[in-house]
Amino acid sequence: MFSELFSSLESILIIALIITPITSGVLVTFLKRKRLVEVVTVFSSFLILIEGLILVNSILKYKTISVFNGIFYVDSLSGIIIITVSLVGFLSSIYSVSYMGKQYEKLIIDEKKLVRYYQGFNMFLFTMLLVPISNNMGMMWIAIEATTLVSVLLIMLYVKQSSIEASWKYLLIATVGLSLALFGTIFFYYVNTIDAPIGGDASGMNWTNLVENASGFDPNLVKLAFIFIIVGFGTKAGLAPMHTWLPDAHSEAPSPISALLSGVLLNCAFYGILRFHIITSNSVGSHFSNTLLMILGVISIGIAAASIYFQKDLKRMLAFSSVEHMGIISVAIGFGSVIGIFGALLHIINHAVVKSLLFFASGSISQKYETKLISDTSGIIRIMPITGFAFLIGGLAVIGMPPFNIFMSEFLVLSSGFESENFLPSMLVILFLVIIFAGFGKHLLKMIFGNPKQTMKKGDLGILSIIPMLVLVSIIFVMGVYVPEPLQRLIENASQILLVGDAHN
Amino acid sequence: MIFPTEINLLDISSVILLVATFGLIVSRGFSNWVHAYRYQTMVLAGIVALIALITDIWELYIVSALTFGIKAIVIPKILFYVTNKLDSPIKLEVNPYVGMKLSVIISALLVAMSYFIFLYLDIKSNEIIQVFLPVSFALFFIGLFLIVSRRKALNQMVGLLTIENGLFLFAVSLTHGFSLIIEIGLMADILLGVIISSILLFRMSRTFDSIDIENLESLRDD
Repeated sequence: MFSELFSSLESILIIALIITPITSGVLVTFLKRKRLVEVVTVFSSFLILIEGLILVNSILKYKTISVFNGIFYVDSLSGIIIITVSLVGFLSSIYSVSYMGKQYEKLIIDEKKLVRYYQGFNMFLFTMLLVPISNNMGMMWIAIEATTLVSVLLIMLYVKQSSIEASWKYLLIATVGLSLALFGTIFFYYVNTIDAPIGGDASGMNWTNLVENASGFDPNLVKLAFIFIIVGFGTKAGLAPMHTWLPDAHSEAPSPISALLSGVLLNCAFYGILRFHIITSNSVGSHFSNTLLMILGVISIGIAAASIYFQKDLKRMLAFSSVEHMGIISVAIGFGSVIGIFGALLHIINHAVVKSLLFFASGSISQKYETKLISDTSGIIRIMPITGFAFLIGGLAVIGMPPFNIFMSEFLVLSSGFESENFLPSMLVILFLVIIFAGFGKHLLKMIFGNPKQTMKKGDLGILSIIPMLVLVSIIFVMGVYVPEPLQRLIENASQILLVGDAHN
Repeated sequence: MIFPTEINLLDISSVILLVATFGLIVSRGFSNWVHAYRYQTMVLAGIVALIALITDIWELYIVSALTFGIKAIVIPKILFYVTNKLDSPIKLEVNPYVGMKLSVIISALLVAMSYFIFLYLDIKSNEIIQVFLPVSFALFFIGLFLIVSRRKALNQMVGLLTIENGLFLFAVSLTHGFSLIIEIGLMADILLGVIISSILLFRMSRTFDSIDIENLESLRDD
């Protein structure tokens, strides 16, 4: 095993990808000084981004990479998740320096808490990176459950009544939900090894093995198992009606963590659904899981629409918007056509970029205005010009205005809905999107162009909070016009993986 | 090869497990829950050892020992520490959302439901699956019921652990142990979860002066 460690670039990369955040977490524990832990975390997140990009480059070259006897397995679908985790992770680490530094100056947290924050941040990245590289579905489940535990620690960083409430609900609901997903995972393992001698080896839980044998599975058990999976991982991915923990947890977390929770963690959980969706499609045809994904997706968008329209709290509004976008991704996968799946995967990246921008901006805004209430926040563009600009771009993008990136993926999704003749869900999605457009747009314009309070001091919050936002704004602009060629190839390959199930039946 | 006496042992152990679970439902005091949970987990560890004996899979002995060590010794220790350190003066489930007598009846119905679900599932089975799968469903449902019907956060936590025990029994009886590494990972997750929720419980009792989940209703959209 250790000889293989240095045998190929890919195995080194995959090991580095998980060793880097662990090392950084350990270093943070020992250094204990504000400046040092910040530098270590930003540097390690930068390393992760570089490693992730090189790994994705290898994925583009080889399509699938399997190392250490198939313990780790990555393909283009994992590549999409790796890119979003490492990119948002890096930008969030920079933003953390500004945001948490400000909280430290305001004496909301002390140095001990700050160290704990960066420990949690690194461990959070580690657990999220473990999800897309696991081949063993049990290991993937353990990683997703570990993301819950680590993020609960981060949410309860502030000892406030509301954050305790949010973390308790999150811990309870997400754990119960994920236990259902484990039921489903074990069921899949069982149908895979039903004829094997008892006490079969762990490879029966490997995704590659499951997909290979899928066509021989007992269809009834597969359907049952997938229902467990979609309810379980769907809870973690914020699909309605299992989303009730999400607005609490995402709005009570420190803003850089909210960005990771909304932008990346939801995708990791959804990635779990996608993996089992492929197995299920290979086994019983894609119609069954597609229908389930479509129903849950439409419900999610609908509930989000109602909640956004009457929302009073800025960060809760953004959290509900995440429910909406996970719904869109789910519906798009459910449509099942090539364009729809391409759009869904593109939407995963677009949503991660836009939502983290909005959470960064909202963090700066709530620090400046010292409130999260929408009604008390107005005239952002005059008080904090650059943050206001970034918030405006993010807000316009998130409600699907052209020429920004989300418009492009939503357009692909909806056209695939009509193309695949799913008229009712497509019409409902359009209706809900219009409501969200009106509701979110109303709040957005008021917050940005309203009359600011005269007493407020003008100025943005510092260069380190602005740089990540401007990077994200430029990505939004670029991705609104065209998708860079390597990324497009990555997404196309990933759509092929998701479409294999249909070719089978 | 399974002998009649072993089938009897299986039946008897599953009954003992259910009885231990009902002990969880009827107890009121904080420390009684932990005791009940510990008995339940000890029985579970015994059942895993029994399955190991019947199927002759040596990994299951290790799993059984781990279950006993982590879930019947370490986790109850943590929970006892939590109950002793909590500031709240009355360490009782005073006024649960569903009364004790009704809880017992509902739990009995849940057990019956679990057996019906198992019959409906139509799984190609051996004796181990037949005996323990319905019991594992029952543990899951009763755990869920404890979470929604009790007021004290500590009791909800024990409910969560009961769900987890059900899941564990489900995994072991259905697949006879999948992989030692994965099972160790699961245990680590549970242990970490218990530690984190204990910290949360302390904070809750310090901030709200109680661990009543009635206090946790301020975050909502209206």
